Amino acid sequence: MGENRKIGLLLLIFLFGAVGFSNLFLLQGNKELTPIIIYGVIVLLMSYSYFIIKRFFVDGDTFIFMIACLLTIIGIIFLYRLDILNLYLHNQDILAKAKVPRVITNYALKQLIFFAVGITAYLIIIIVLRNFENLRKYKYVYLVFTVIFMCISTFFGSEILGAKNWVFILGYSFQPSEFGKIFLVLYLASALDKYKSWKNLIEPAAVVTISLLFMVLQRDLGSALIFFGISVTMLYIATSKFKYVFTCLILFFLGSFASYKIFYHIRKRIMIWKQPWVYASNESYQLVQSLIALGEGGLFGKGLGFGHPEFVPVNASDFIFPTICEDLGMLMGFAILILFFILFYRCMRAALTAKDNFSRLVAVGYSSMIAAQTLVIVGGVTNAIPLTGITLPLISSGGSSLIITYFALGVIQKISEEGKE
Amino acid sequence: MDLKKNIKKVLIVYLLLFIALFSYIGYFEVFKAKDAVQSSFNSRLWVKRAEVLRGTIYDRNMSPISISKKINDTKQVREYKGGEYTAQVLGYVDEKYGITELEKKYDNVLSNEQLDVKETITSLVEGKNKKGHNIVTTLDMDLQKKCYDLIGDNKGAAVCINPKTGEVLALVSKPSFDPNSLKEDWASLLKNQDSPLLNRAINGLYPPGSTFKTVTLVSALTNIDGVENQTFKDNGKLKFNEKEWIENYGGAAFGSIKLNKAFYKSSNVVFGGLGLTLKDQLYTTAESLYFNKTITSSDMDIKKSQFPKAKSSEPGNLAQSAIGQGTVLATPMQMAIIASAVANDGVIMQPYLVSKILKSDNSSYENIESKELAQVMTKETAEKVKKYMREVVLYGTGRNANIKGLEICGKTGTADFKKNGVDMPPHSWFIGFAPYNNPDIAVAVIIEEGGRNSEKAFSIASKIIKSYEK
Repeated sequence: MGENRKIGLLLLIFLFGAVGFSNLFLLQGNKELTPIIIYGVIVLLMSYSYFIIKRFFVDGDTFIFMIACLLTIIGIIFLYRLDILNLYLHNQDILAKAKVPRVITNYALKQLIFFAVGITAYLIIIIVLRNFENLRKYKYVYLVFTVIFMCISTFFGSEILGAKNWVFILGYSFQPSEFGKIFLVLYLASALDKYKSWKNLIEPAAVVTISLLFMVLQRDLGSALIFFGISVTMLYIATSKFKYVFTCLILFFLGSFASYKIFYHIRKRIMIWKQPWVYASNESYQLVQSLIALGEGGLFGKGLGFGHPEFVPVNASDFIFPTICEDLGMLMGFAILILFFILFYRCMRAALTAKDNFSRLVAVGYSSMIAAQTLVIVGGVTNAIPLTGITLPLISSGGSSLIITYFALGVIQKISEEGKE
Repeated sequence: MDLKKNIKKVLIVYLLLFIALFSYIGYFEVFKAKDAVQSSFNSRLWVKRAEVLRGTIYDRNMSPISISKKINDTKQVREYKGGEYTAQVLGYVDEKYGITELEKKYDNVLSNEQLDVKETITSLVEGKNKKGHNIVTTLDMDLQKKCYDLIGDNKGAAVCINPKTGEVLALVSKPSFDPNSLKEDWASLLKNQDSPLLNRAINGLYPPGSTFKTVTLVSALTNIDGVENQTFKDNGKLKFNEKEWIENYGGAAFGSIKLNKAFYKSSNVVFGGLGLTLKDQLYTTAESLYFNKTITSSDMDIKKSQFPKAKSSEPGNLAQSAIGQGTVLATPMQMAIIASAVANDGVIMQPYLVSKILKSDNSSYENIESKELAQVMTKETAEKVKKYMREVVLYGTGRNANIKGLEICGKTGTADFKKNGVDMPPHSWFIGFAPYNNPDIAVAVIIEEGGRNSEKAFSIASKIIKSYEK
């Protein structure tokens, strides 16, 4: 694609943002300038980054960058819409003299800061890394970090929404398993890229099993599912052996069945999945509210700011997809899924042209991480599969997730660039 | 290179997964979304309901039964003038306790006024408060109250319909509750063993007892040639084997009798015997009279009545079914429908509760026409059954409670039942219609555990009919 058309695409994304943010501006009665400022910052950040990528790293794939930014913009627009709502609800509660008024949120501004940090990480990776393949020699460093991040919340974690996967340090909270994913992919790539026989697989198999065990213990089933997805995908790419994939699937089902028998929280998930309406006022309250929001939206949605996301719990992170659909319709939901698939496709293209196996495996690992996460959470909130709480990459509010995703995309960008040389 | 091929394969697998998710969401949107949106867990509906002043429900003479009043911009209160009289038929609407019956069926109408373009603009310009449609029901509040008072402290139900149109004139279930004080009464309502929240008239399933002989009679007249002129031997007992038999009430033996006398004397022996002769034909007749089928109505969810399919090798069950015992179960509405079919030349009209939808200023918006449900017996059969039912009141089991001048036709019943394996006092039933020549009301009354005296239900029914015909 020619340079002009790429610029054209970038401008279209800006136009989309302009429409979205001016909509927010109007929603607030033309008084609050914050949406315009956020939009300005986003345009600056994107233009500047685009300039650097184009100017100094001609060979890289700019689509990855643009699609990721578009998804982030969708997220920030919607998060700002939630901020407006939460402010309104807060004021209502104050007027009604409620004992515990609902809190004011600043999702959008925080997300903007994390976006800036993410983009910076993205650029630093592209600029600083010289030869990506050199990184394969730190295999045991990755191994150690993987295990540390996986187990850390089992011992120091706090429970949020039924999963013990958050750690608080000096007032800041983060999800170690998000970082664990990054190291798991690096470790698996360095362990599998020189695959000769099944003996090479014993060590990685042990690492993956331990990680999965910790995730189940922390009740973070969503992450467990994603680790499994990533590992199997990488295993297949590295070995080309379908029989290994098959073995993994069988082991996974046996493991799931055993966990189903042992852990109550897993049985509960399955129960909710099968009959969400039966437990609608208790166990499956979140899911049912999510389904109602999806249904309320219909094909075209009610318009930005006209839905009722306040009835959907965790509307800024895990359940952001149905609330977006309520405002902007199933068409927007489909658009988001298509964007994720295009992003996945561009990332896998980088893997296709990568110059060595290590890079290729890392690219495959990070691509499937983003795709699997999308499938698991969107499938979960629509009740296509049992619901497991994880974030929708790039869109959900959350620093750990956003920064990690940009980091992964930066690595893929680097790999795509090296592949073209 | 292998690795590249693998990557393409992985790409395809993920593509398929995305397509599957797409399809699932599409499927949800097309087939499941409507149910999700209308579920009682959707709080948006309450937000919407609060914005619009809910419409009034009127009885057929335009006296208001349920009215909403605004307290302030976001709050309104619904006043149920019908109180305990109409609690189960009209239902209630409450954010905490949900929305039931007619309030639920017509929620969209009551909480939403369809305006034409001109009206929409005026209301926008003038900033009028939003109001919902008003609806006019077919209920006759005087009759409704009469039924309620006549049942008194008994448990039971009464259904009155106009057999020519299917308009429901009264629908009473007791014990009842007051929807105006749900908050105070809720806990005790849920605990109450007598289930006051249950609408017995359309959801209560009872053995119909001898009133079911009307169905057996229809089946016999339809399927057995010359059955009217046949002479039956009734020696008081119909024996199937050493352990099983049925007998007449009070051990009576009527000797050699014709079918009409067997009907007005309510002979179990003769009608049980007819069951043995009819076998599957009775099952077919029962189903054509809407047993095991849903009586479709846009205003009520009527529970299915049940008639069992017995094998020819089980004479006991065949005979028990033919006299409305065994596992035959019917709702009072079902039995009223059967009476109405006889009264209306064999045609069942679809029962309905709402005759008009009005605009919020009570100008006309939509009239709801009555609909024919089915022709369930020939006109000739209906005429004969009508005559038989008239004889019940003149000479038979109903003669002592007859009120002269009303020309009531009907059939009494006492239905045996067991609770936890123990014999209870039987239910007292009456189904019928009046007047004989040009029926304008069909009635079903059941008094739970009304006792052996089958006239209990009939005396109530005849007073109901009297109050309607005055």
